[in-house]
Amino acid sequence: MEDPSRLTREFLEELGTKKTVGEIEELRVKYLGKKGTVTEKLKSLARLAPDERREAGRLLNDFKALAERELALKKEDARRRELASKLASEAIDVSLPGIFRRPGRLHPVTLVMSEIIRIFTGMGFTVEEGPEVELDHYNFEALNIPKEHPARDMQDTFYISSDIVLRTHTSPVQVRVLEKKKPPLRFIAPGKVYRCDADVSHTPMFHQIEGMMVGENVTFANLKAVLEAFLHKVFSPQVPVRFRPSYFPFTEPSAEVDIGCIFCGGAGCGICKGTGWIEILGSGMVNPRVFELAGLDPRNISGFAFGMGMERIAMLKYGIDDLRLFFENDIRFLGQF
Amino acid sequence: MRASFSWLNEFVDTGLGIEETAKLLTMAGLEIEGVEEEEGVLDVLTRPKDTLFEVNVTPNRADCLSILGIARELSALTGAPLKMPPYKVKDEGGPEINVEISDPELCRRYAGRVIKNVKIGPSPEWMKKKLEDYGIRSINNIVDITNYVLIELGHPLHAFDLNTLKGKQIIVDMAENRGKKITTLDGVERKDLPGDTLLICDAERPVAIAGVMGGADTEVKEDTRDIFLESAWFKPQGIRKTAKRLGLGSESSYRFERGADIEMVSIALDRASYLMREIAGGKPSGAVDNYPRPFRPHIISVNTVKIRKLLGAEPSNDEIFGILKRLGLNPEMDGDMIVAIPPSYRLDIDSEADIVEEVARIYGYGKIPSTLPCTEMSAGGLSEKQKFVYQAKNAFALAGYNEAINYSFMNINTLDTLGLQMEDPRRLAVKVLNPLREEDAFLRTTLIPSLLENLRYNFTRGIKDIRLFEIARVFVPIPPVRRVLIEGQPGQLPFEPLRLGGCFFREKSYLFWKEPEEDFYRAKGALEEFFDAVKIPDRDYRQGTEPFLHPGKSADIFIGGRRAGYIGALTPTLKEAFEIKAKEDAIIFELDLDLVFESLPGTPVFRQIPKFPAIERDIAVIVGEHIKAGDVLAEIRNYPSPYIEDASIFDLYKGDKIEKGKKSLAFNIRYRSTEKTLTEDEIEEVHRGLVKHLLSATGGILRA
Repeated sequence: MEDPSRLTREFLEELGTKKTVGEIEELRVKYLGKKGTVTEKLKSLARLAPDERREAGRLLNDFKALAERELALKKEDARRRELASKLASEAIDVSLPGIFRRPGRLHPVTLVMSEIIRIFTGMGFTVEEGPEVELDHYNFEALNIPKEHPARDMQDTFYISSDIVLRTHTSPVQVRVLEKKKPPLRFIAPGKVYRCDADVSHTPMFHQIEGMMVGENVTFANLKAVLEAFLHKVFSPQVPVRFRPSYFPFTEPSAEVDIGCIFCGGAGCGICKGTGWIEILGSGMVNPRVFELAGLDPRNISGFAFGMGMERIAMLKYGIDDLRLFFENDIRFLGQF
Repeated sequence: MRASFSWLNEFVDTGLGIEETAKLLTMAGLEIEGVEEEEGVLDVLTRPKDTLFEVNVTPNRADCLSILGIARELSALTGAPLKMPPYKVKDEGGPEINVEISDPELCRRYAGRVIKNVKIGPSPEWMKKKLEDYGIRSINNIVDITNYVLIELGHPLHAFDLNTLKGKQIIVDMAENRGKKITTLDGVERKDLPGDTLLICDAERPVAIAGVMGGADTEVKEDTRDIFLESAWFKPQGIRKTAKRLGLGSESSYRFERGADIEMVSIALDRASYLMREIAGGKPSGAVDNYPRPFRPHIISVNTVKIRKLLGAEPSNDEIFGILKRLGLNPEMDGDMIVAIPPSYRLDIDSEADIVEEVARIYGYGKIPSTLPCTEMSAGGLSEKQKFVYQAKNAFALAGYNEAINYSFMNINTLDTLGLQMEDPRRLAVKVLNPLREEDAFLRTTLIPSLLENLRYNFTRGIKDIRLFEIARVFVPIPPVRRVLIEGQPGQLPFEPLRLGGCFFREKSYLFWKEPEEDFYRAKGALEEFFDAVKIPDRDYRQGTEPFLHPGKSADIFIGGRRAGYIGALTPTLKEAFEIKAKEDAIIFELDLDLVFESLPGTPVFRQIPKFPAIERDIAVIVGEHIKAGDVLAEIRNYPSPYIEDASIFDLYKGDKIEKGKKSLAFNIRYRSTEKTLTEDEIEEVHRGLVKHLLSATGGILRA
């Protein structure tokens, strides 16, 4: 029997020349396969004396264990290298753009409007709607603005006929709801409104949200608290809010609501015209005449109402400096929000 | 209303600085919108440095359209006494003119005075300054004095050249009784005044439009010697109507239509007479004062408990009483009851609510606490329809569409450009009587004209990816038939159905990952995503019928058998009309959102997850090119076998490998039973039947 250490040397030499998983497998078959060198040699052991056979058998088994170990290591190594080169060959340019559909954006007016709706519905307000083409009766008369009243000058009106107008504010929804539903009530009414006016700071159509709360004990102090809570949510909890007397024919007392200028922090700047305050909404206690005109007895109920322009709030919130941008529908504008 | 700080100080000395004064007035409802420091002046003696307030006087506060009025307010706010300027006038002789009022409701008081021997000339500098501060140009001392008193006391006056008045007679009457012709001070000859225009006439003709503007014939000129000075009170509604109708707003009409102070009539007359004597050397004669409807004050009683309850604040009875007293409302208090009698200049106060407002604003809104209401709980929230609209908006945004908002107006001529038939209902639109521009004279009956403008706007600005949608109401007039039925009931409002419109344009050469598909399918995909998001199960796309869409690349959309809208590529003509110079298609679509909403299914009902496996089979058929894939798919889905779970199209082929005029459609069909595992044989049997049915239904052959 030949020298087993020679066998080991030959095997290791041969193994050293093999590179691929396939070559290594071939080598395994050559040495350890069914018809391989080890099998052959084990068969030839039969011719030896029992002592020699035992010794030779042991040596062969040692060789077999060594070969198996070496083959497995080498094979694993080759497999790793082959995978790495395969992966390397499959490489793509990861800097190319992803296949992605850019989502569109909602209009800033919609965004502001839905945020405000969320705040008020959170306080239990419902959301009511009314027609955009409205009767003069609901737009003016029932809101205590008779014909030939100077307050009509506050709102330039588009007329469809002598008694039909494009609503100039969302306030007519107040009356429609008061006629239809029983107090206690609290609702907001968002929507489009129209004024016969077009210049740098006016567009013939814009959006408002009207709000109303009516019940047995609704107070001016409630009006203040609800609107403060609202403004603190929309702007910031720190923003100062002030109420100052004003005039709307359908509320009394009426209040204009200002917030501390969010651009200069109240120090005075171009946007707040140096006053430190920005007018944000109109409000007041419902004028008892409005209750009467809606067929309710003002002795038993009270309420507050408020109204605000969406574009104005959007301009403040997003720093938009030109009202007309809202209706040009320029993708470069719409895509920003 | 502009008021100078120094002039206010002549009436009331509050001791407050400029900023404090501005803040005090603003927080009491007289908003100071602007504070203007007067420019440096050369002559310090005659024109001391001054500050101008721009006061925003709300329409209810006619009493504050004067220096006196604002000073009165300051006096009430601070308690500083109000000082009146001198107005007692020495007059001689009786009135030399007779005044007749035809309708005392329209003119409740008419006073006047003849002033002789005035010397017309320039006004003194101090007067010129005050007029200029307000924004009125100095003309001559007489005209200036009438304007000065208007600003000072808030009451409009008018001076006639006495010698141009015929018959020493003033008659206040309607145009229909006295003639409809007058040339007004602005030089305009008005030939056909409405019959109900209130005029000031002499014995022969109209000499002024009451409360609005004087006549040119009787104007005070350089050579005028004697004048007749008018101070009157006219009914606000009448003045407003006349001023509006004639387009003739003036400082006078502005005050009369808001309600002048009827008790100020004689004081203003005297004050002006006094100044004319002092400044123009005139000799006033006795005044005429025809006052057929004397002022009768309102008497208002209020309960202070109620005031506190409504405000949610605790001003004491004494505080409330003090506020009303300082405002000149002559209160009398008995326990919790207060009776107030507003003066003649507070025409705006005639009810309990008005008193509450006065108390609140002087008490100070800032002192009223903020108290969140305690109230019944209620569900609140959006209605299902409102939620649906937001769902739609989000679906289109996710599909890559930006939300547009357009004006509700449309140019009616665009409907011609769209090629709508004459009888197309969208041509029946609501018309605006006073549009800003003729192009905006009608309310939209479809969103398409606006979206086409949006497409043009963006495309011509070099934007290569334009995907927009809009959700808005359109306006459908009550059809004429119904208009007849409701005759005698004016005020029928149009319907306002809710629409969703959209447009799609994308220049492909600028896309990195190429998309070979027809753009139509991209846009249709967005609609499908929306329908899927809101769970509209069955929508059917049939051959399009809109005249402005490519007949071969457009579809009418049906939901539950009803036409819910359309989608398609613009015709080349339309593309050109809207300046879309590109080879790619521009796709537009419009949906009836009310109909979609009505078609929404109810809450989904859970179905068991299948317990048995599905088996899939593919089938490719070669059919005529005109055959619609959707129809073939419908045949598969409607095939009467309980085992067909679903089917989808996965390939469309046209080309060399098959006969010309034909196309190959390949479908994947999924079979499954809810009760057992299907055997190959069972599937094979159904599938063979389906294939046979499909071939006969489509006239097609199996693709090898």
